[in-house]
Amino acid sequence: MKRIFSVALGILTAIGGFVDIGDIVANAEAGARFGIAHAWVLLVGVVGICVYAEMSGRVTAVSGRPVFDLVRERLGPRVALANLTGSFLVTVLTLGAELGGVGLAVQLATSVDYLLWVPVVAVVLWVALWRAKFSVLENVFGLTGLTLIVFVVAFFHLGADPGQLWQQAAHPGPPQGEDWGTYWFFAIALFASALTPYEVFFFSSGAVEERWTARDLATSRVNVFVGFPLGGLLAFALMLTSATVFHPLSMSVDSLSQVAMPAALALGKLGLAAALLGFFAATFGAAMETGLSAGYTVAQYFGWSWGKLRRPREAARFHTVVLVSIVVGAAILLTTIDPIQLTEYTLIFSAVALPLTYLPILVVANDRGYLGNRVNGRTANALGVAYLIVILVAAVAAMPLMMTTRMGAG
Amino acid sequence: MLLGFDLLDRQIIDCDGQPVGKVDDVELGYDADGAPRISALLTGQRALGRRIGGRLGRWIAGPALRLAGPRDDGPLRIDIAHVGAIGSAIDLIVSRDELPEPALETWLRDHLIGRIPGAGHES
Repeated sequence: MKRIFSVALGILTAIGGFVDIGDIVANAEAGARFGIAHAWVLLVGVVGICVYAEMSGRVTAVSGRPVFDLVRERLGPRVALANLTGSFLVTVLTLGAELGGVGLAVQLATSVDYLLWVPVVAVVLWVALWRAKFSVLENVFGLTGLTLIVFVVAFFHLGADPGQLWQQAAHPGPPQGEDWGTYWFFAIALFASALTPYEVFFFSSGAVEERWTARDLATSRVNVFVGFPLGGLLAFALMLTSATVFHPLSMSVDSLSQVAMPAALALGKLGLAAALLGFFAATFGAAMETGLSAGYTVAQYFGWSWGKLRRPREAARFHTVVLVSIVVGAAILLTTIDPIQLTEYTLIFSAVALPLTYLPILVVANDRGYLGNRVNGRTANALGVAYLIVILVAAVAAMPLMMTTRMGAG
Repeated sequence: MLLGFDLLDRQIIDCDGQPVGKVDDVELGYDADGAPRISALLTGQRALGRRIGGRLGRWIAGPALRLAGPRDDGPLRIDIAHVGAIGSAIDLIVSRDELPEPALETWLRDHLIGRIPGAGHES
């Protein structure tokens, strides 16, 4: 019974944990401008994160080595350092974006400007990572993030035209007034929002901290194969509601309050409250994950002792990196950069950083020295290679598309 | 065993499962027949900086070098006799308490992390 409960909890946490500020912004923006013509990208992204999260969970459970250990072992110190620099910058920028998301959610509830909330949120985040029992926090925020289900309910209340939505989904491409450049720009942002590197850093490091062994493989697979797709469903609901409400009016979404609006339209004040609570929990949960991931990557590259379960004084370098990352993340926001724009940038930069993270996972998942007879089967390898190609193409195309479309402005 | 593939850049774990560092470099010696063999593992930013080389390498090694100060005795050296199993990690047969602590860890604990309330508590 206890085991069933822990599996269920893991799934629920994965659902809530999948959605972060990147998913919220990218799905709502794409829905408003392109309808659900990007639905297939979301599907491709969710399958991709499932394939690679399963691989990294398996490698970690069997060998006890987290993902960034593998990056260093397989790419060598120089290339791994380049990857570390890229991943660390993207993770800290994402942390900034999540802090901004928390601030905006609180601003919508209190009408106090988010810039005043950012330092408060940063301090609360640091205290949480310093002292609180992490598994409890993870479960609380994962479960609270489930209130985003309100967007699924809202979609059915809005009475959308299924024929028209099907038309958009079945004919991928830009609608009138948009061009292929912006279409692909948003496709890459959506893809990157599903596969953000911090997700595998966090997932595998958490597995090391909880001392997973080969016996936990089943739990890992259930979490990944049930939790992430259901999380993707929440992201899809954001795209659907935005496509239903904003796309027919040719409106674009550029603030968090607009993302919440479909829930308010369909379900009134309660719907709005649930949406805000969901935004708050999803972004705060992701802020915790990115803050820790920043510390994980650096500590694992250099071989320092790291982890939430150690006393901070026994992992002084790790905790210093976490502390500095939170300060830098908050400082980025206090330059008054628009958090939504910051999110768009982090998605494009993370698309560029993806290949160097996922290639070593695929290589090690085939190494019998690490995995014995639990190496990749044919399906995992076929999918892994196919996705690596997609990831490479997205990484190469991200920057040129960003420049030619001026961040998707068209 | 391939040095670059099976040993370099792997995580070193002490006999209690605590992380010690990476195999940032190795020290080669010669046995009685004059054949080269590994005599020690080198770990820490100084060994890493030297291996990477150039300005970047000096930059990585810099803080460790400054913190080591006058009592400089080179990068942390782990005699090959202390190495147990070599697998996905390098397992030592000694505890890390018997090895010198990395200077950066000591400095950050004494000057920053250790001074914050709650640093000694498990969460």
